[in-house]
Amino acid sequence: MSAITSNKFGVEPAEQSRTRPEERWERAVPVFGIPVMTSFFIVLVALTLLALVLTGYRELAGLGPVSGMTDAFGWGIWKTFNVMVLTALGSGAFAVGIAAWVFRRKKLHQLMRMALLTSFLAYACGLLLLGIDAGRPWNFYWIVFPWKWNMHSPLAEVAICMSIYAMIPLAVENIPPVLERLWYFDSRLRPSVEKMEKRLHSVFPYIIAMAYLLPGMHQSSLGALMLLAGERVHPLWQTPFLPLLYVWAACFMSFGCVAGTTMLCCLVWKRAMDMDVLDEAARITFWLIYGWAGLRLIDISFREQLGTAFHFDRFAGVFWLEMIAIIGGGVLLQQSLRLQDKGKMFLGYVVSSLGGMIYRFSPTTLAFRPNPQALYFPATIEILVSLGFIALGIAGFLVAVKRFAILPGPLYLWHDMASYFRFRRPYIRWTGYFKYGFFGEDEQVSQDNSHS
Amino acid sequence: MDITRREVITKIAKAGATGAVAVTVGSTPLHAETENIPIPSTAVGLLYDATICIGCKACVAACAEANGEVPDTRGDSLHQSPTDLNDLTRNIIKLYKPTDGTPSSYVKRQCMHCLDPACAAGCPFQALHKDPESGIVYWTADKCIGCRYCTITCPYHVPRFQWMGYNPRVTKCELCSHRLERGLKPGCTSVCPTGAVIFGPRTVLLAEAKRRISDNPGRYYENKVYGETDNGGTQSLYLARVPFEDLGLPEIGPESVPAKTLRWQRRFYQYFALPALLYAGLVQVIRKSVKGHVQEAHDHEKETGLRAQL
Repeated sequence: MSAITSNKFGVEPAEQSRTRPEERWERAVPVFGIPVMTSFFIVLVALTLLALVLTGYRELAGLGPVSGMTDAFGWGIWKTFNVMVLTALGSGAFAVGIAAWVFRRKKLHQLMRMALLTSFLAYACGLLLLGIDAGRPWNFYWIVFPWKWNMHSPLAEVAICMSIYAMIPLAVENIPPVLERLWYFDSRLRPSVEKMEKRLHSVFPYIIAMAYLLPGMHQSSLGALMLLAGERVHPLWQTPFLPLLYVWAACFMSFGCVAGTTMLCCLVWKRAMDMDVLDEAARITFWLIYGWAGLRLIDISFREQLGTAFHFDRFAGVFWLEMIAIIGGGVLLQQSLRLQDKGKMFLGYVVSSLGGMIYRFSPTTLAFRPNPQALYFPATIEILVSLGFIALGIAGFLVAVKRFAILPGPLYLWHDMASYFRFRRPYIRWTGYFKYGFFGEDEQVSQDNSHS
Repeated sequence: MDITRREVITKIAKAGATGAVAVTVGSTPLHAETENIPIPSTAVGLLYDATICIGCKACVAACAEANGEVPDTRGDSLHQSPTDLNDLTRNIIKLYKPTDGTPSSYVKRQCMHCLDPACAAGCPFQALHKDPESGIVYWTADKCIGCRYCTITCPYHVPRFQWMGYNPRVTKCELCSHRLERGLKPGCTSVCPTGAVIFGPRTVLLAEAKRRISDNPGRYYENKVYGETDNGGTQSLYLARVPFEDLGLPEIGPESVPAKTLRWQRRFYQYFALPALLYAGLVQVIRKSVKGHVQEAHDHEKETGLRAQL
C-alpha cells in the first residue's frame, strides 16, 4: 500500500509512458454537447419497438411461427447468440474487475465504469430475451424457492446466477455514477447522497466479491450446458474443459469489448486516448488469448482429435476461422504494443472478439449435429427480435454515456464540460447536471464528505 | 391419486418379481457398473424385440388414443403418418433399411426411462423427474419453463417441444401412467399383435430378453440387450438383429451421460463449499483493494479539487 501514497496521479510513473500528461485519463466525463436524440438513436429505438411488437406476436403464436427452431435445433439465436455470446462480451465487469480489484492493476480502474455499464446492459438485454425465449415463462416463479432448484443442472445454475448477478451485484456496482449525478444535480440532495455513498462503500467488498464469483460460475456453466449434449457436439468443441474454455474466452472477449468500445467512443467523440491504460489492457488480453489458445490446442491434441481439424468439412472451417481470428487478434494486439499503433490495437480487439464470438456460438449451433440432415437458420422475425434487443442495449449505452460520467477522459475535459454548460447552453435546465452544480473551481471541497 | 398409482405399480411389480425370481435363479446378477445408480424398487418398463415387430404401427395409433392426442395428420392431412416423434406423437415405428442388402429392421422409439436420465439432470426446476418407485420419468406442466434443454440433453432425442401456441407442452412417453393406475397396460403394449413390445417390471423383462437370446443363438445383434447397462441402464429394453446405432440408439457405454459429463460440475458445487471458500477469499482481497482505492481517490480529490469518483 506504500506505493499508493508515493505515486500520486499527477506524477509521471517510473516506467516509460506513452501518454502525454494532458492525455492521461483521470476522470469519467459525460459526453456533452451532443443531443441524445440523433437519427442513429431513433433507428435504435424503432428497432427496439419493432422487436417489442414482434415479441407480443411470439407470445400468442408460439415459438414455431416466429423462429427457425425445430425439434432438432431446440435452441435458436435468442439463447445461443444473445445470451451465450453477448453476455461473454458483457463480462467486462468480471474480467476487467478481477484485474483491477483482485490483481490490483490500478490503471484499469479508469475502464471500470465502461465495463460495468456494458456488462449490465448485455446481461439485462440477454435476460429479457431469455424470458421471451422460454416457452412457459410464467413458471419462472420457481426461481424464488431454492428447494425447488435442481442444484446439479447447469441451466438452473445459469438462470439463477445470471438473474441474481444482474439484479444485485451488477446493479449495485452501477449505482455510483447515478448518485454522483444526483450529487451534482441539486445541492439539497448532497447530504443524503453522501450518506448513501458511505453505506455503499461499506458493502462494496462483499458486493464486488459476489460480482466475481457469480459470473465465474455461470459463464463456466454456460459451457457445461453443452457437456450433457455429449457426442452431438463436434469433438473439436466437446471437451471436459468446455466450462473453463468458456469462461476464459469470456475474459478476453470482454477485455476486447470494454477497451474496444472505449477506443471507438474516443474516436467518435474525439477524446484523448490514454495509451498507458489501453496498453495495459492489451497486454492482459493477448496473454489471455495465448493462454486460451494453448489450452485449447493441448486439450484437442490430448483427446487425439487434432486430425478432425484437417477434414474438409464445415466444422474444420469454423474451427480454423475462430482459431485464426482469435490468435490473429492476439498477435495484432502484441504488435500494436511494439509499434505503438492504435489502429492495430483496435483491429486486434475486434478480430479477437469476433473469433471469441464464433467460438461461443459454435457448440450450440455451428458445431451442434443433432442429426446429419438437420440445419438451423434463424427466421426473419427471430433475427429482428434479436437485433431489437441488441439495439436496446446500444440505445441504453448512448443515453448512459451522455447523461452520466462513464467514459474516461483527461482532466481538462471536465473543465471544458463545465464551461460548455455554463456559457454555451445556459438555458438547458433539464440536463441539470451543472445547473446547481459544483465544478470544483469556485467552491472549496468540503472536508466532511470524505469517505473514511 | 399418487397412492393408487403406486399401489398398482407395486402390485404389478410384486407379481412380476416372484416370476422374476423364478426365472432368474442361477442367472447372472445385474451388471456391476449400475451399482452406483439406484434402480427404482419397482422399476417398470418396456421390452421391444425388433425381430418380432412387423411394423403395423398399431402402437402408434393406440399411443395417441391412450394419451388423448388427436391423430397427427399433418403430413398429408389424411393419414396419421408422423415421420418422427413430435408434440402429438410419443411413440413411433421407424424402418431402418440399408441399401446394400444387409438385414433391415423396424424400430420403435419412445422414452427410454433411463435409470439416470439426462433430461432430469438438466431440467432447471425438476419439471422432468424420475419417480423413485416406478422409475417413470414424468413431465410436470407447472414446473416447466419451456427452456427446451431436455431436447438438447436427451441422448435419445425423445422429449419434444410444442412449437405452436401460447401454452406449449413437452411431450414424451410416460408409460401411460394413467392407464397403469386403472390396472391397464400401456397403450402400445395392449395392441401389439405379435407381442414385439411387452410391459412389465424391469427385472422380468431383462430376464425374458436374456432367455430369448439364449434360446435363439445368433438371432440377436451381439447377443446384447440394449438398455441393460447402456447409459447407466434404461427401463426400456431393446433386442434387435441389426446394430443398435443404426436404429438411433447410440453407443454410450455403461456410464450414464450425466455421471460422465457433470462429474466435475457436481464435485465443484457439492455443499456449495468451494464457491463459499472462494467468496471468502475474494472478500478479503477486495476489502484491502477497496480501502486503498478509496484512499487514492481521496488524495486525487484533494489534488485536483474535483470530487472523487469511485
